[in-house]
Amino acid sequence: MSAVAATTTTGEPLLRVEGLAKAFGGIRAVQGVDLAVARGELRCLIGPNGAGKSTLFALLAGLEQPDAGRILFEGEDVTRMSPFRRVRRGICLKFQTTRIYRGLTMGENLTLARGRRRGASSNGRLEWALGALGLARESGRPAGELSHSHQQWLEICLALATEPRLLLLDEPTAGMTPEETALTADFVVRLADGGITVLVVEHDMAFVRHVARGVTVLHYGKVFADGTFEQIEANHEVRRIYLGEE
Amino acid sequence: MTEDRPSALSRLNGPQDLGRGPVFWTAFGVVSAALLAFPLVGSPFYLSNLAAFFLYVPMGLGLCLVWGYGGILSFGQAAFFGIGGYLYGVIAQNLAPMPAASLLGLLGAVAGSVLVAALFGYFVFYGQVSAWIIPLLTLVLSLILETFMGQTAGYQWRVGHVLLGGYNGMTGIPSITVGPLEFGGASVALYLLAVAMLLLAYVGLRLFVNSHLGYVVVGIRDDAERTRMLGYDVARTQVVIFALAAGLASLSGVLYVSWGNYVNPSSMGLYAATLPVIWTAVGGRSSLLAVLVSTIALKWLADTLAVRGGEYAFLIMGALLLGTMLFFPLGIVVSLARSWRRRRSVPAGRPEAGRGAGDRRSP
Amino acid sequence: MSLPYLVSLLYQYADNVAFLLLAALGLMIILGVVDVINLAHGELIMLGAYTTTLAYHRAHLPLPLCMLLSVVGVGAFGMLLERTVIRRFYRDRLGALVATWGISLILSQGTLLLLGPSLIAVPLPDWTVSYGGYSFGAYRLLLFGAAVGVVLLAWWVFYRTRLGVRTRATMQNAEMARAVGVDTRRIYLYTFGAGSALAGLTGALYAPTTTIVPLMGTTFVDVAFITVVVGGGANPILGALTSSALLALISTPLSTALGTFAGRIGLLVAALAIIRFLPRGLSGYFHDLQRRRMAAART
Repeated sequence: MSAVAATTTTGEPLLRVEGLAKAFGGIRAVQGVDLAVARGELRCLIGPNGAGKSTLFALLAGLEQPDAGRILFEGEDVTRMSPFRRVRRGICLKFQTTRIYRGLTMGENLTLARGRRRGASSNGRLEWALGALGLARESGRPAGELSHSHQQWLEICLALATEPRLLLLDEPTAGMTPEETALTADFVVRLADGGITVLVVEHDMAFVRHVARGVTVLHYGKVFADGTFEQIEANHEVRRIYLGEE
Repeated sequence: MTEDRPSALSRLNGPQDLGRGPVFWTAFGVVSAALLAFPLVGSPFYLSNLAAFFLYVPMGLGLCLVWGYGGILSFGQAAFFGIGGYLYGVIAQNLAPMPAASLLGLLGAVAGSVLVAALFGYFVFYGQVSAWIIPLLTLVLSLILETFMGQTAGYQWRVGHVLLGGYNGMTGIPSITVGPLEFGGASVALYLLAVAMLLLAYVGLRLFVNSHLGYVVVGIRDDAERTRMLGYDVARTQVVIFALAAGLASLSGVLYVSWGNYVNPSSMGLYAATLPVIWTAVGGRSSLLAVLVSTIALKWLADTLAVRGGEYAFLIMGALLLGTMLFFPLGIVVSLARSWRRRRSVPAGRPEAGRGAGDRRSP
Repeated sequence: MSLPYLVSLLYQYADNVAFLLLAALGLMIILGVVDVINLAHGELIMLGAYTTTLAYHRAHLPLPLCMLLSVVGVGAFGMLLERTVIRRFYRDRLGALVATWGISLILSQGTLLLLGPSLIAVPLPDWTVSYGGYSFGAYRLLLFGAAVGVVLLAWWVFYRTRLGVRTRATMQNAEMARAVGVDTRRIYLYTFGAGSALAGLTGALYAPTTTIVPLMGTTFVDVAFITVVVGGGANPILGALTSSALLALISTPLSTALGTFAGRIGLLVAALAIIRFLPRGLSGYFHDLQRRRMAAART
């Protein structure tokens, strides 16, 4: 059961990353990463700490400029594109640490995120998401007062409000209980089944197992392994880099 | 949740400023009507004095917009006030025999200020500079402009046939004239124009801050990076509000010249640059209404001090500024409004209650 | 283009660099370490000038002692400011800016009220040096020497003393510094004191060369602010050095050819252009450059 279907009907992956590299001071965070993600795919990015996962996301979102390599989104070279233009193109990043407008209510946060799209036909996917995550009733509260997991979910909804075609989730279940993690995993699967391409950086193996789709392993800034969850789980080398011994 | 386009009425009544609901707007209407009707009972002396206070309100509200709602501390409002005044003087006097001369002067003054502001903003906002750079550079801009205009005495310093006038400034500038109507210093026309500009600026900005763009501006203030990551062109928005504030300041400048028929470099200098900051800080930068009130009140105070003990005026202003920052960081008017609201014991937990001005403070 | 002419240009350049450096270094050190802009900096310079002048004329102390008094006095005053006012604005940089602007008004207006519109200046020591038909005021050469000396002293403190290590640690990561036992509040206090003392020194040194009026601070902060903006806060000493060197390079030919005002306008335009492309200033740029070089060296 190959979950790594790299091409769509037109043969062109939604996202293609070629030879991406980025160093900070003496640290080579990302060293020559090649990646291809198909439309509608749901893939988890895992790897030990310092493997370069968050840096890769920062490069994809435009928060950092690569030292080498390129990023092609729907065939267009977005490597040098500023972050806000990438969002308009359809790439949206959910930050690792929650970064919502604490002083505004949840409703206001979402209105801001929807932007010009708000007047047009309502965003059905967003409505569904708010209901599925149990946020629909909280619209009047200041966002800073929400519980941690609700803030995480709100942040995902903010990303959804920008009507992305590629959703980058950086550790969406950080700080969540196992039940909340499972709920988030189900939610993300249904998102992907609904047509959004999703890349998730995660540390929590329960999430990755629950999602049970394609997995890419990063190590020392390079792609270490690639495959289905079962293949990765059975891979001795992957175990070794995580546990340090065999 | 996903709202339809808010109506203009709800935008006016929105939560981004103090004062909402039928009671407030009735009071607002009554006060506005009283202001407009005042010429029926007031002497030209009072009309002239009041006009002199009211004409500064657009400038103050402009700073409230960029600083309170946008998070951009600008010492440049006085610079644009002066640029507006001088440009008006140059254009109106050069085109003098034409009936539309003063109106063209008004347009040219505002357009010129907006252009300078946009150019300045291009360098500053597209560079994504740290917040502290803007107050420094706008302060330097004001100082340089004052110094420059101060040494333009002499016949060689002229535009067309209008002398810039150096340290003494430009005098004999004609008031705005539309047909037979002259908006001169002690005239009813100027008084009404000043009131009209005050009301238009307030209502207009109130609509703006409650509009979607207004929320974007506040979002930029609270977290510019977050707003960028939602697909907004943050730099362009910042340039827009900076230029808007400059336009309002230049409008005040033109009204000032129409009122007094002169402009001089001290309108742009150190003290002039400080005043809008004092009005905004003392009133409470999170609320347009508070700044409207404090601008008029502090202008009146400065006037009174100038008469009774001019040397102490700026000492008191400095102490007021320091004191407000230390003890009333939200602003005096805003603090008063909040404690008054609390005393009316609205139950906690309702979003409307604790909200409004000052709740989204972000340094 | 004779040699004496070049020397004269060089003299002008050195004079301008010294002015920018002395006017801005104290402000930049405070910005770099405490992350606060002290808008009363110009008034601190003014207080330094006034202290020297008053000590000279009223107490009849020898000039060097008067200047020392300025340094110590304004430095102490700066520490008082830090303890009473600045401390409350650590998390509110724009608030600190506004509050210090209030202080600036109080100081300049207060001085005007207490001491009148001007003081008789300290006489300028009448040393001149002649070369090839040009004569140069040697006092201003002394000012250049003082600027160099101040930079060396700052460098020595930052990089060769334990206080400097603790200060740099605080600059880079205050929380980490506290975690390893650095008293960051005391660092901020001393830094503010040092920056103020430098302002006092600047005022004292330039007192014989200019008119002593309550608003004299503005002539210094005009250019000090631009120097700070162009230098950036990442590395105060490097930033002050490179910024004043670069800006004087721009302003010297402009002011020689077209007058001091042209020099000032040129500085503002240059500052706008520089921060457009180097938003963290020169020291921020060099900081990033150094990191990249370190990365390349390991390839």
